[in-house]
Amino acid sequence: MHAAGGRVAAISGGVLVGCTVCLATLAQAQTWQSTWDASVYASLSTRRVQADSVLNPDNLLARLPDSVGVLETRFDWRLESERLGMHLRPILRQQWQHGGGGEGGLDEGYLSQWRLRGVLTESLSASLGRDVMNWGPAQFRSPSSPFYFDNGRSDPTRELSGVDALKLAFTPDANRAWNLAFVRGTGHDDRDDWKNTWLLKGEQRGSDWTVGWVAAKSAGRAAFWGGYGQWTLGDDWLLYGEAASSRLHQALRSPVSLAQPFRVEAESARQSVWLAGANHTLESGQALSLEYLFNGHGYHEAEANAYFTRADQSLPNAGLALSARPALLGRHYLHAVWQSNLLEEGDVWRLMWSHNLQDGSQEWAAYFDHPLNTHLNLYALGVFNRGGAASEFADLSARSLQIGLRLVMP
Amino acid sequence: MRNLLIFISCLGAFPVWAVDAQGVLERADQARGGHLPGVVWVIHLVSREGDKRLEPQTLEVRAVDDASVAETLEPARFRGAKILQVGRNMWITKAGLSKPIPVSPRQRMTGQASNGDIAATHYAADYTARMDGEERLNGEPCHVLELTARHKRTTYDRVRYWVSKEREVALKAEFYSLSGKLLKTALFEYGHEIHFEGRRIPFVSRMLIRDALLDAETDMHYEAVKVRKVPASVFDLGQMQ
Repeated sequence: MHAAGGRVAAISGGVLVGCTVCLATLAQAQTWQSTWDASVYASLSTRRVQADSVLNPDNLLARLPDSVGVLETRFDWRLESERLGMHLRPILRQQWQHGGGGEGGLDEGYLSQWRLRGVLTESLSASLGRDVMNWGPAQFRSPSSPFYFDNGRSDPTRELSGVDALKLAFTPDANRAWNLAFVRGTGHDDRDDWKNTWLLKGEQRGSDWTVGWVAAKSAGRAAFWGGYGQWTLGDDWLLYGEAASSRLHQALRSPVSLAQPFRVEAESARQSVWLAGANHTLESGQALSLEYLFNGHGYHEAEANAYFTRADQSLPNAGLALSARPALLGRHYLHAVWQSNLLEEGDVWRLMWSHNLQDGSQEWAAYFDHPLNTHLNLYALGVFNRGGAASEFADLSARSLQIGLRLVMP
Repeated sequence: MRNLLIFISCLGAFPVWAVDAQGVLERADQARGGHLPGVVWVIHLVSREGDKRLEPQTLEVRAVDDASVAETLEPARFRGAKILQVGRNMWITKAGLSKPIPVSPRQRMTGQASNGDIAATHYAADYTARMDGEERLNGEPCHVLELTARHKRTTYDRVRYWVSKEREVALKAEFYSLSGKLLKTALFEYGHEIHFEGRRIPFVSRMLIRDALLDAETDMHYEAVKVRKVPASVFDLGQMQ
């Protein structure tokens, strides 16, 4: 394992040096253009914590605040020429919170994304940096992405940080693309899941269809295999799907028999996750989407019941259940979205509904964005959870509301 | 002598279908960005619906063949938003979207302009052209072409197209649905000029689109037109974000 790690480091170092030399060569005699813009988000959020939560009794474990104020500035700076490009996206965040035992504030600054990119040939480019490597047509979750299963679509205001990667992209024409990447780590989020991962991704397009495939492998972990596809059917229908086969790292098992405790598996059995969806666009440009997700890594109904029952037995059990919970608890989900025309420049709204078909819990969310002038927008995100304690979508939070202003500059 | 006179009169009555309709269409396409190795332009759009004037937009469009990327430059709050179109596949990225989202061709931009209207025009590849007479438009003699969609990937099922006989550029278009309903009309102006393969080609500077049923129109002004190769990486979703 050490020898393999050393080989990886050597190869990575060699590629890095090679890219640096190429980029330095490309940098000569370039015409540069510099652009910048910034968005400032100022928001207030309030949450109603579930009073009889099983996973978070009396809010002792998650310590969710009742209200949060956030001031977040997101900069984008680009320096580009025909063959080279640099991009920085620093984030400055100040947060104040009240209630839930978490009084106080938080100041942080970090690089959400950064990139140094060079065009090596007409079809080949290389980049080094922190990139959001997110793909696939699905809205609820992205099974085909090893890094962004929760793809951030449920909260349009949330900043999705990149993963640290060295990438080669080969695009011979507009219909084909291949990417080879070495992912060093998960960037600002700093999770251990996919450190030192090699990723190969391809995408092919036809006149009205697109398919992609993904393979990811890190030392000591089983490979991740993923794929996605979409088909434009007529003017107003999109059919799409995503799928993956993988083993989970540090998976929490919940045996049906309550005589047995929770068990954390270093690596779970290989399971598949797949999603099928359809999107219909109305004459007005509004779009309706309906998705079904099968989550092979989730619990059967009996396992899910045992999960909550075991968590209810003691505070340490609840703590383990909360901290090591799977990304999705169950196996069968429905997700629906009704949204405004994404291409229109006025009000933007989005209604989302998620439903765990096993425990019956639901999450209803509504997002609204209204331009006050050319630079300032008012937005709101309301989330309502139904199902009560010991259900996936409602055990922690009954409802929340976020209202904010977004200012763009210049 | 009599036979010569008969021969000359037959030449004068030579039917207009002898003019290559498809060739006329292909040359008219070039004046709107088609059949070029790539074209980049900036479009200012101003739309009106009744008395309501919509917020102006500015887009930078890069197009080649049946692929295009339109990036919003103005208004400021949508700066950086992009619409990628390759064939009938379309995606949008903008602030608040964590990844490119596929959209169907029915989703249109604000106003009367569709994605097909702002991108390069390839009517010669997408439509079968038939000559349908001649007319004068603003005093300029025009071929009138009847265009029928060759496949389902086209934005419109049928187009009636007025192409200047002298300049070989389209001056007017009527867009129809499959059922024959007139959807909208467009008027074109050619205040630009490009150089390609040793030729100077007039290039579109304005397109005014009017809805046939509603009192609504979109006025598009083209600027900073450049003919240049557009790299394929521009159409890679992974490099768009």
